[in-house]
Amino acid sequence: MEPGLLKSAEWPLLIDVYFFLGGIAGGAFVIATIANLLDAERYKNVVRVGYYVALLAVIPAPILLIVDLGLPTRFLHMLMVSKPSTAIGQGAMTLGPFHVKPLSPMSMGAWALMVFSGCAFLAALDVFLEHRGGRGFPALRTIVGLVGSVFGFFLAAYPGVLLGATAQPMFVSGHWLGALFLAVGASTGGAAIALVLALVGGERRDALAALMRTVAIALVVQAVTLVLFIVTVKMSGSVGISRALAPLVSGQYSLTFWLGAVTIGLIVPLALAWSGRLRRAPAGLAALVAILVLVGGFVIKYVLIAAGQVA
Amino acid sequence: MARTLAMFTDVSLCIGCRACQVACKQWNQLAPEEPEWTGSYQNHEHFTDKSYRLVRFFEEPDDKVGVRWHMMSDVCKHCAQAGCLEACPTGAIYRTEFGTVNINQDICNGCRYCVSACPFGVVAFNHDTGTATKCTFCNDRIHNGLGPACAKACPTSSIRFGYRDELATLARKRVDELKAQGVKDAQLYGEDQNGPLGGLNAFFLITGKPAIYGLPEQPKLPQRNVFVDSLLSIGSAIAVGIGAVVAFRSRGGKEEI
Repeated sequence: MEPGLLKSAEWPLLIDVYFFLGGIAGGAFVIATIANLLDAERYKNVVRVGYYVALLAVIPAPILLIVDLGLPTRFLHMLMVSKPSTAIGQGAMTLGPFHVKPLSPMSMGAWALMVFSGCAFLAALDVFLEHRGGRGFPALRTIVGLVGSVFGFFLAAYPGVLLGATAQPMFVSGHWLGALFLAVGASTGGAAIALVLALVGGERRDALAALMRTVAIALVVQAVTLVLFIVTVKMSGSVGISRALAPLVSGQYSLTFWLGAVTIGLIVPLALAWSGRLRRAPAGLAALVAILVLVGGFVIKYVLIAAGQVA
Repeated sequence: MARTLAMFTDVSLCIGCRACQVACKQWNQLAPEEPEWTGSYQNHEHFTDKSYRLVRFFEEPDDKVGVRWHMMSDVCKHCAQAGCLEACPTGAIYRTEFGTVNINQDICNGCRYCVSACPFGVVAFNHDTGTATKCTFCNDRIHNGLGPACAKACPTSSIRFGYRDELATLARKRVDELKAQGVKDAQLYGEDQNGPLGGLNAFFLITGKPAIYGLPEQPKLPQRNVFVDSLLSIGSAIAVGIGAVVAFRSRGGKEEI
């Protein structure tokens, strides 16, 4: 590959923000669903806050995308056009004005965002009604939770797969970006719930501790996939591609990467979790770890996207 | 589908006059741009939203003659497996009955995914219209039997336009001819329909390694990654999911308020 020939999409920061919020929404929704299925009573607040966080994080998503595209009607073209052409790609499917392209992560992601938003709304509405003294709809919540979790995971992971399906040397040779973004979604989603619970206070310690354990496990997956990503890029053989890694690990973005994404986002929170200080889950410490994880989660997405587009 | 149309650019005949670049600008009514100093006669460095044609100039150090000059009129390759077309989430990018790849400007929503998905850096974003643009092989002309403006303007027939199968035969003959004349490095780029990207509908005769012309040796369809990357993501989802179940099941500290 001759990286000098390529052009980048030059996506602005608000796309990074969208990927970050989408990850939080998907991660928080999945964690809330799992907590709800295992012990709805014990994890009542985790479930409630989780579904609220998912809805609140996903609401700005289409707004950010529309701002980037410039015109509100343009976002609709991701889903439908008045008369789709038939020769628009391998495996493309059209139904009336709607179209979906399985090989285009952006097309799939737009649909996932739509379905997930519906699920996030229903789940948040259900926990809200229950909290206000209503009966709630446990069966509906289970179904919405399971369907929404599939799309929530998708929403968290697809930006990574999307980047991997470009011609940018660093992204194409990594393969682990989707897996990494999914783990970041889970860790930041869990951290967002934990931050709210810690700030509101009065949460059961065992529930908060379980949540922090979930975040720690997601962080481990995040660290492993990050290492696998870098190793895969390094081993891909091509000179041009190994050079593409330079801005990230030793070039202009290396400080942000090593300090923000690795140290603040991974090493410090994992060390705190490992040391056992989180076992009793004091609210202050939980809040601190949550903030570190959120900052690190944003930085890792930002820095990977920025460094990958340098070449 | 009509017979596939293609463009054959023979760099051994290119004299770097840039008539093609001018003809393209005129026919497609592309606005003038600030010139860029690239260190050679090449202007601009990359394809832009207002330059669909670009004559590239390369200097190759040579022991015998000091330096060898290479000129190549570059253009959208209209790949048989096109990264931009597969990437496009709106279906704005479509394949025509002639096998060419076009961007429907009314449907394009300006997401710029195609820009980063093109293995040749062809597609460019137009900030005035907020859409992606590139060479269409002069879609309006070829639907009226005229052939693209660049090919029409080329004074040395370095750029030829016609049916792909006929051009491929011509191109192979030309390689043999050049080799007989002692141009050992003469080779075709993108002509092989079993080769990378299913063959390029704009293919080239080059007289050196592809790298000299800034062309990737083995261009790949970016979307080939989607399947593997998705599987790995599912693996990650399973790991995180099981981890969360374990975390919420175990009673760790056992301290309750």
